[in-house]
Amino acid sequence: MDFSLNEEQEMFRGSVRKYLDGGGQTKIAREMAKNNTNLLTKTWKGLAQLGCMGITVKEEYGGAELTTVDQVPVLEELGRALLPGLYLETVAFAAPMIEKFGTTEQKEKYLPGIADGSRTISLAWLEPGKCFNLNDIQMTAKFDGDSMILNGSKTLVPEGNLADTYLVLVRSESETDGKGISFVLVDRNDDGVDYRVLQAMDETRHLTEVNFKNVIVSNSRILGELHRGEDAIEEGLLYLNAALTSIMVGGMDKIVEMCAEYAKIRVQFGQPIGRFQAIKHRIADMKLDLETARSLSYYAVWALDEKAEDAAVAVNSARAFITEAYLRLAGHGIQIHGGIGVTEEIDCHLYLKRAQYYQTYLGNSRLYREKAATALNW
Amino acid sequence: MDFSFTKKEEEYRRTLRIWLEENLPEGWIEGKRDLPENEEEQAQFLRDWQKKMNDGGWVAIAWPEKYGGQSASVIEEIIYHQEMVRAGAPHLINYIGIHMVGPTLMDIGTEEQREKFIPKILNAEEVWCQGYSEPNAGSDLSALKTSAVKQGDKWIINGQKVWTSYGHLADRCFLLARTSNLEKKHKGITVFLVDMKQPGVEVRPIIQMNGKHDFNEVYFNDAVAYDEEIVGEIDEGWKVMINLMLHERTGIGAQIFTLEKQFSDLVLLTNELKENGQPLIKDPFTRQKMVELYTRCRGVLLTYYRNITTSMKRGYPGAESSMDKLMSSELTKDLFEFAVSIQGHQGVLWKEDALANPFWQLDYLSSFGVTIGGGTSEVQRNTIGERLLGLPKDLR
Repeated sequence: MDFSLNEEQEMFRGSVRKYLDGGGQTKIAREMAKNNTNLLTKTWKGLAQLGCMGITVKEEYGGAELTTVDQVPVLEELGRALLPGLYLETVAFAAPMIEKFGTTEQKEKYLPGIADGSRTISLAWLEPGKCFNLNDIQMTAKFDGDSMILNGSKTLVPEGNLADTYLVLVRSESETDGKGISFVLVDRNDDGVDYRVLQAMDETRHLTEVNFKNVIVSNSRILGELHRGEDAIEEGLLYLNAALTSIMVGGMDKIVEMCAEYAKIRVQFGQPIGRFQAIKHRIADMKLDLETARSLSYYAVWALDEKAEDAAVAVNSARAFITEAYLRLAGHGIQIHGGIGVTEEIDCHLYLKRAQYYQTYLGNSRLYREKAATALNW
Repeated sequence: MDFSFTKKEEEYRRTLRIWLEENLPEGWIEGKRDLPENEEEQAQFLRDWQKKMNDGGWVAIAWPEKYGGQSASVIEEIIYHQEMVRAGAPHLINYIGIHMVGPTLMDIGTEEQREKFIPKILNAEEVWCQGYSEPNAGSDLSALKTSAVKQGDKWIINGQKVWTSYGHLADRCFLLARTSNLEKKHKGITVFLVDMKQPGVEVRPIIQMNGKHDFNEVYFNDAVAYDEEIVGEIDEGWKVMINLMLHERTGIGAQIFTLEKQFSDLVLLTNELKENGQPLIKDPFTRQKMVELYTRCRGVLLTYYRNITTSMKRGYPGAESSMDKLMSSELTKDLFEFAVSIQGHQGVLWKEDALANPFWQLDYLSSFGVTIGGGTSEVQRNTIGERLLGLPKDLR
């Protein structure tokens, strides 16, 4: 038994952190809030050069063919820096999905681009005014020989203005018992695709509404089995949520670090505030939340790699716990910083807003706890 | 990263499991696990059980072989605790002797002390208690007042100890006493190995709120100790204590595996209890709470594993064990609170009239002590803040 990242993984973490620190850490996210995507694009290229994009992709498609655990240090570092962009959706979700369910043609088309950083994929799942429930997917795919016609709207598509491709959930059959759903890969440049950036509380993300009006694409764009997307979705969500827990752990790690540092230098009543138990104990509790989250996250990723029996339980329960713990920590982070904690200038609010975003990203804690309960045969 | 056990480790697990199946008290495997009600009979039962464990070589597995242990690895210790909890084996009555006194004597004791005390610790011939806390020195041990004054070749001990676990059963006490008032507060303390069965030592029971008797007050009125019963240097007991605390980790492991067992018992309870003809586990609120508890139990266990990995790589244990202690004891409290709450209005009944097994009520009340004993949650938070996060120390 060895419950830690190995030396190579930690060294890789070191180089990613050094690179992101050099790029100004949260500055990249802050530039996004000003609608400037240049720094993100540049950073993405830099990360690709470090080899962050193709960690799990097979060698024949230009990847390093390593495990999901090897991706953990990168995800945590992206979380620390609040990096916007599509690493989660592209590298942690779309890549394993294409690897697993894609045709040879699809793998050849998408995987090398993912691995070298030249292609990003976003996830177009939710629809305006609808719930996170497969029955609520109303965007349609009508078949016409070798091609299909897509009509409908998707909302809250992460960085939909930057993605090269959208992985879209469409209703391909009229069944509403959670079935009749298919995954389709649609390119942003396909005719009839239109998007607009939404006003989001987390301004460092560009959440978008994407409209599909009579978009005609070949049937070969369907990922996995036609009308049977629901099985693939469950598996894909495990990869996505496992990766998401790592990203959140990174954010929590940074919050605890910021708070501990601040509590050492901020003096009130003639003492650094970290000497007061009211502050010290709160930060100790935050550290506990952080380490619990990290343990749950490591195990979830490992269980997924090992195809362990309790992989689904591990991922779903970790996702529920960590989204809540992240938000809790972000709130404490502001409180510990006192007055300046609520200002725009200090980073605290950026973590809070990101935590708030992840709270409900593709399902809330209640849903994931229910999934865990079901996986436990309760 | 790897959570699996090696073939050799699994073999170790199998050996212990077979030994337990063959040697556990009668009826134990089938689930009849009641200890004798009478205090003296219970103590004798537990002494016999430890003796049997020792004959099999299973008492102090982490100790070096030359002292009667197995030189077991940390991982083997984990397996050991898992199997003991799994079998619901009776606890070892000489817990303090095995986990604290023995290892301390090996590190700091004299050859004579080792020869005299260690074999009797193993076979439960001499049960130990620890004399730390006093009415005005709980978390702040440096405030202790029990005195030992040199008189010829003897030390005369006077004072009062409190919260002394096993005090009513103990033959010997690992006692902290003040031998000098001249120096700084944490200096001038000496560790004595005191005979409890002498005139001048009086033990009075403290009955807990669930009716159990685990703790005692111990009064020393001109009790006697000798030079050869001092551990380490005179006035340097603080160093002995620091060494001893490094050995406490194993106890946390047992608590964490017990927590796992308690959680799986709770799952059974939520299946047994019905509401509107449905098992409670099918109720959406209960399911949510149960997953929450499940996740925290897993979090405690996995963090314990991570902390063990850290100390194995570093070569010695560290302040991370405060996280294990704080998390597991706070969670124990929450788990039992929930277990009683789901019994609804009948949750207020206990003993013969309890709705389910009465241990839920009894352990619920016990759980309030878990966040106090062995260092309060507040002290653990200080340790985490100061030693893991580098925050400035409290004003003292």
